[in-house]
Amino acid sequence: MSDSTDKLVMMANQIGRFFTPQRDGEPIAAIADHLEKFWDPRMRAAIIAHAAKGGAGLDAPVRDAVKRLKDVKVRATL
Amino acid sequence: MSLVHEIDFGTPVSKSSDRVTLTIDGQSVTVPAGTSIMRATMEIGTKVPKLCATDSVDAFGSCRLCLVEIAGRPGTPASCTTPVAAGMAVSTQTERLKQIRKGVMELYISDHPLDCLTCAANGDCELQDMAGAVGLRDVRYGYDGANHTKQAKDESNPYFTFDPSKCIVCSRCVRACEEVQGTFALTIQGRGFDSKVAAGMAEPFVDSECVSCGACVQACPTATLSEKSVIEIGVPEHSVVTTCAYCGVGCSFKAEMRGEELVRMVPYKDGKANRGHSCVKGRFAWGYAHHRERILKPMIRETIDQPWREVTWEVAIERVASEFKRLQAKYGRLAIGGITSSRCTNEETYLVQKLVRGGFGNNNVDTCARVCHSPTGYGLKTAFGTSAGTQDFDSVEQADVILVIGANPTDAHPVFASRMKKRLREGAKLIVIDPRRIDLVRMPHIEAQHHLPLRPGTNAAVLNAIAHAIVAEGLVNERFVREYCDRDAFEHWAAFVSEPQNSPEAVGLMAGVSAEAIRGAARLYASGKNSAIYYGLGVTEHSQGTTAVMALANLAMATGNLGRPGVGVNPLRGQNNVQGSCDMGSFPHELSGYRHISDDATRTMFEKLWGRPLDSEPGLRIPNMFDAAVDGTFKGIYVQGEDILQSDPNTKHVQAALAAMECVVVQDLFLNETANYAHVFLPGSTFLEKDGTFTNAERRINRVRKVMTPKNGMADWEITLAIAKAMGFEMRYGHPSEIMDEIAGLTPTFAGVSYELLDRVGSVQWPCNEKAPLGTPVMHIGGFVRGKGNFMITEYVPTDERTGPRFPLLLTTGRILSQYNVGAQTRRTDNVVWHREDVLEIHPHDAEQRGVRDGDWVKLQSRAGETAVRAEITDRVAPGVVYTTFHHPGTQANVVTTEYSDWATNCPEYKVTAVQVSSSNGPSDWQREYAEQAEHSRRIAKVAAE
Amino acid sequence: MATRIFVPRDAAARAVGADKVAAAIVDEARRVGVDVEVVRTGSRGLFWLEPMVEVTAPAGRVAFGPVAVKDVAGLVATRFATSHALCLGRPEDIPFLKRQTRFTFARCGVIEPLSIADYRATGGWRGLERARSLGPTATIEEVTKSGLRGRGGAGFPTGIKWKTVADTPAGRKYIVCNADEGDSGTYADRMIMEGDPFLLIEGMAIAGFAVGATKGYVYIRSEYPDAIRIMERAVTIAEAQDLLGQKAGFEIEIRVGAGAYVCGEETSLLESLEGRRGQVRAKPPLPAHKGLFGRPTVINNVISLVSVPAILAEGAKNYADLGVGRSRGTMPIQLAGNVKYGGLFEAAFGLSLGEIVDDIGGGTASGRSVRAVQVGGPLGAYFPRSLFDTPFDYESFAALDGLIGHGGVVVFDDTVDMARQARFALEFCAIESCGKCTPCRIGSVRGMETVDKIIRGERAAANLALITDLCQTLKFGSLCALGGFTPYPVMSAIRHFPEDFDRPQLKTAAA
Repeated sequence: MSDSTDKLVMMANQIGRFFTPQRDGEPIAAIADHLEKFWDPRMRAAIIAHAAKGGAGLDAPVRDAVKRLKDVKVRATL
Repeated sequence: MSLVHEIDFGTPVSKSSDRVTLTIDGQSVTVPAGTSIMRATMEIGTKVPKLCATDSVDAFGSCRLCLVEIAGRPGTPASCTTPVAAGMAVSTQTERLKQIRKGVMELYISDHPLDCLTCAANGDCELQDMAGAVGLRDVRYGYDGANHTKQAKDESNPYFTFDPSKCIVCSRCVRACEEVQGTFALTIQGRGFDSKVAAGMAEPFVDSECVSCGACVQACPTATLSEKSVIEIGVPEHSVVTTCAYCGVGCSFKAEMRGEELVRMVPYKDGKANRGHSCVKGRFAWGYAHHRERILKPMIRETIDQPWREVTWEVAIERVASEFKRLQAKYGRLAIGGITSSRCTNEETYLVQKLVRGGFGNNNVDTCARVCHSPTGYGLKTAFGTSAGTQDFDSVEQADVILVIGANPTDAHPVFASRMKKRLREGAKLIVIDPRRIDLVRMPHIEAQHHLPLRPGTNAAVLNAIAHAIVAEGLVNERFVREYCDRDAFEHWAAFVSEPQNSPEAVGLMAGVSAEAIRGAARLYASGKNSAIYYGLGVTEHSQGTTAVMALANLAMATGNLGRPGVGVNPLRGQNNVQGSCDMGSFPHELSGYRHISDDATRTMFEKLWGRPLDSEPGLRIPNMFDAAVDGTFKGIYVQGEDILQSDPNTKHVQAALAAMECVVVQDLFLNETANYAHVFLPGSTFLEKDGTFTNAERRINRVRKVMTPKNGMADWEITLAIAKAMGFEMRYGHPSEIMDEIAGLTPTFAGVSYELLDRVGSVQWPCNEKAPLGTPVMHIGGFVRGKGNFMITEYVPTDERTGPRFPLLLTTGRILSQYNVGAQTRRTDNVVWHREDVLEIHPHDAEQRGVRDGDWVKLQSRAGETAVRAEITDRVAPGVVYTTFHHPGTQANVVTTEYSDWATNCPEYKVTAVQVSSSNGPSDWQREYAEQAEHSRRIAKVAAE
Repeated sequence: MATRIFVPRDAAARAVGADKVAAAIVDEARRVGVDVEVVRTGSRGLFWLEPMVEVTAPAGRVAFGPVAVKDVAGLVATRFATSHALCLGRPEDIPFLKRQTRFTFARCGVIEPLSIADYRATGGWRGLERARSLGPTATIEEVTKSGLRGRGGAGFPTGIKWKTVADTPAGRKYIVCNADEGDSGTYADRMIMEGDPFLLIEGMAIAGFAVGATKGYVYIRSEYPDAIRIMERAVTIAEAQDLLGQKAGFEIEIRVGAGAYVCGEETSLLESLEGRRGQVRAKPPLPAHKGLFGRPTVINNVISLVSVPAILAEGAKNYADLGVGRSRGTMPIQLAGNVKYGGLFEAAFGLSLGEIVDDIGGGTASGRSVRAVQVGGPLGAYFPRSLFDTPFDYESFAALDGLIGHGGVVVFDDTVDMARQARFALEFCAIESCGKCTPCRIGSVRGMETVDKIIRGERAAANLALITDLCQTLKFGSLCALGGFTPYPVMSAIRHFPEDFDRPQLKTAAA
């Protein structure tokens, strides 16, 4: 696992720790939504790839949320 | 063009809504009750002679020139100190009054040097004007009596002189220092004829408590307190009203000029943010604009170990475009990005993000707000529906309880601090939550009721504990919550804060604050008639920055302190245009007006107008850009007006990121630290050299007006246009006003904004649209923008940055009054006399343990890096906490800070770094290498003229 | 039973040896085995007879004076026989006292000042009790009906001032007693504080009750250490008996000035009380609306406040029946300077100046003829003999560009140089000026310089015209009475004694 993946895992868990205790709505959806809205595609691709390999270090709700993320494809041109 | 003259009404405006009608010299006038006769007289254009009165301070009644006669009343009362009364008949000119005025002037002039022709204030002197106005023709006392005309000048202050020989002891300076600035540095020493103005304990000005705000200089009616620039250049001949480019207060100034030379900056009374006040930076520290180190020609180089080569604008712009195109071709569309500047205008930031989105075809745009107030945007939007503070600055005048958390307004937002201090002196209560004993905790005539010196990193916990006490003690404003807030969310929140781990006792122990203090603060905040929260980067720059912002919003909602003047949640924005750069769509995930890039309707609107497809995926944020650069997927960057190397955390990581990029384009006034890693340098223009707008911390859109030709040949917005054109994305604007028109057309909260409106009314606070044609001073009146106020659960999560045996102390960072952020400007002014270097504040106990003495060099070390600074031993910081500023690249405090960041926004955790402090002989090896590299990188090749 | 012997402990008596006399009496009595109890009282105010010692006798008290230590042995030996050469008979029969109307100073010199029992036994607290039975509004009406006017010098009706404060809504109000008695030749405040301190406490408590104030301050000049000590002890004693303090609903704090004359001016006094530089405040706002700490404040002179208990106790009419015109009641006239019988003389308004100086004061101490009298302190006008028929009341003096001020009367004989007196007035103004307003700050110094020129005979006519103009500027332009009243002594000296200003040019060394 690279340094940058470590960092992404840490950041994702931080997000998870905010949403997990929320009592309105569904935390896992909220985590996934936050990642969709604020993470650049390459970051999401990296965390998806990491989760696909078992997602070491990811807290359980975060792993679940990452699994819900749509696959990211970066087009060369718009 | 001529000088902008503002009428001096002599005494402050009365806020009474009752009206009183009286006659003055036979003319009827109606004014608010409580207005002085002097002011009423000025309202009808009659000038009563005056010297000690000026409308920035309360009436004093000492000069005795403004005496009037009132029918049916004995004597000759002073018009400044006598309020109007219904039916009063006032005479401002009678034979007796003429004689008294002449008698008083005769006394004044008998103790004044007769050097008008060679005096710096010649033509701009109220004493001179009054001598003329009362018709003084002779001084029968002669000039051989006792006098003060031989006293020595005090020239110690770098910006102004104090010449007591010209002083008329009107006390305007003393009163301005007290009433306007609230510093109490000046006094009248001695009595009777020996009365004289003294700074501190009769010290030189520069050694006194004086903070050089300039209020005394502005108040002085004679040449006693004079700007050195006026003495050197002469009195100005024309002026232009513009906006200060330093902090987020956004003070209005008159730039007073002679030709294209700036003579002085004078605070503009009609400026709604500053109300005629200023600080040492805005008032005096503008010399950087013509500093010899300013770069005025574009420069390029192939690699950063080469010297710079000056080139034409065409060559430089072409280099930028070709490099960026090459990088995108080679590494992909997402391999480049840009950074907009919170120091630049709205129009300029708008253009940079437009360039990135439309020209680069990605959303890799971010702004320095990322590293300061991004959690504010996220947190307040979640709670209230708007990414901005809720009030105007005037609101503080109606606050009864003021809670300051993680902000040090007297240093970082001095002009607003003065307004806050005035309210505190009027009796408002104060709660300070800050690890340091900031000046506000105890200063002349102000003392905080509660200071909670919490451990850095525990904001969310302490705010939860305050909420716990409010809920437990039944202090919730049920009516407000019922009417305006989401009921379920409130119930969940109330249950959460009531949990035992959030009790003041449990939190107090962990945060190093007594439970009683937490409860006291809770009671005071909740029981105030109007309680207002003011916060700064001490709240946002944490791993739980966003959580803490939400916790503040929760407190305000639970106690009903929103939706009217005097209350609110008020972020004190760091830079002049942080609010504006965020509003303009500088964040990678959103377009102007805080609309997410994935929203198809919004994006389509922009696409249509810009004629370009836009990416619906969010782009990289600044820290992500650095990570991606180190990972090799991000290769080129356009940085307008920001010094990311000095200001962003973990300097070594930023160095590595910049070094990994193939094209770094820096647009700035000076070869800043980031420029050491740049391949293209585009000289920027100062705020004096361009038109535009800044949006301050209270959402106020202020005009920036060009007062001189850009010394570098192009305003910043024109440079961005040139890059866009070279990239094949042509934007056409003849003037920044047209850019604002486009913004207004695309952004509902700005729909009503135009230069025409701003020129007409001075400034407006957004939202400014059909519903609020003159803007919105206070938000969320009668309901929240998002509908119901949203309580979020703000569970405390300790930061991963922990102290331990290797790094037992917590470092927190901040600013000082005289310097500004990375210091690129202020270090190039005489402000350095107050702060030549960054120092490390350390508690006597921690210093003793380490054998550190005051003034010693110490090594400051974290897991990220180390630097060396001099130590200042003080109990302002608690044991276990150390503090420094980041104004000097020689110190580079950010080599120590880590890349930990806020969970929601990646705003760096500047305020908590575990460090060790130990004795040192001087600068560290890293500092020496850094300095060498910087010097090497700044070489400019001598080339023959083209 | 021990013989009670009364020896004043008033500062004026102590200045002429009262302490030594008291000690000598104790020693001598012990030596010869006589059982005496020495009681220290205030002064009766007959200063040429101080130390005046009184002893109890079957027919009341008998006075002896002036008593020196050397006289003590003889007095004790004769058991204070009325045949002793120093015997003055019953003090009440001494003409200087007999002619007075001791309404306010009735107890002064008679009782033991700090004996709260003596105070009560002699009618103390009756005024407060009556006020309480009347209620605040009727109390104020009573004070208004008495015609009492501010005895500090301005002569503003006390009842109206109180009513203004009573009618100003506020959570907290203050009573401030101005005991910064700085006028040269005045001592009434000091005497009453040293001789009857509970009277001032009662007066302030009545004022507090009437206007709804719960806290009072006594601002005493630092030059009055005895008065400060006695007032402080009196407050402590009254607190111990719950006559003051929280239970009583009224507290008093003693504050000490710092030597500035101008702090006797009410707004400067308030600034000083608030811990600031003693500098005059512009009015309005009146202290009655925004006074101490911005709260409605009654600020009264000591004599105004000590007049109140008797007015309440005896009824307004008794007081109002005394006096002339709009000057009702009594005034403690303080005779000083070059005068034969110096002392405090409380009398109803209306005596002529001549009666006061010649009859009561007995002319000059030097035996020369009286040339000028300054009435009302250092800022009062000088009166020549030709105006000795002027009745002593506010209006008559004002009509002659004079003032009765705090009731000080200072006598000068025919050796006085009135030009130097005019200079002195300006010098006093220059020394005591707070420096806030321009006329006083610069004008006083320029005035001094100009009078010096007149004294040197330089362009006398032009300089006299200049002084006259300056006095106009001072009178109408000054912020407070210090500068505003300085023209009174200056112009009265010029007007009534023009010969002293018509001087030959001095030959200077250079000339």
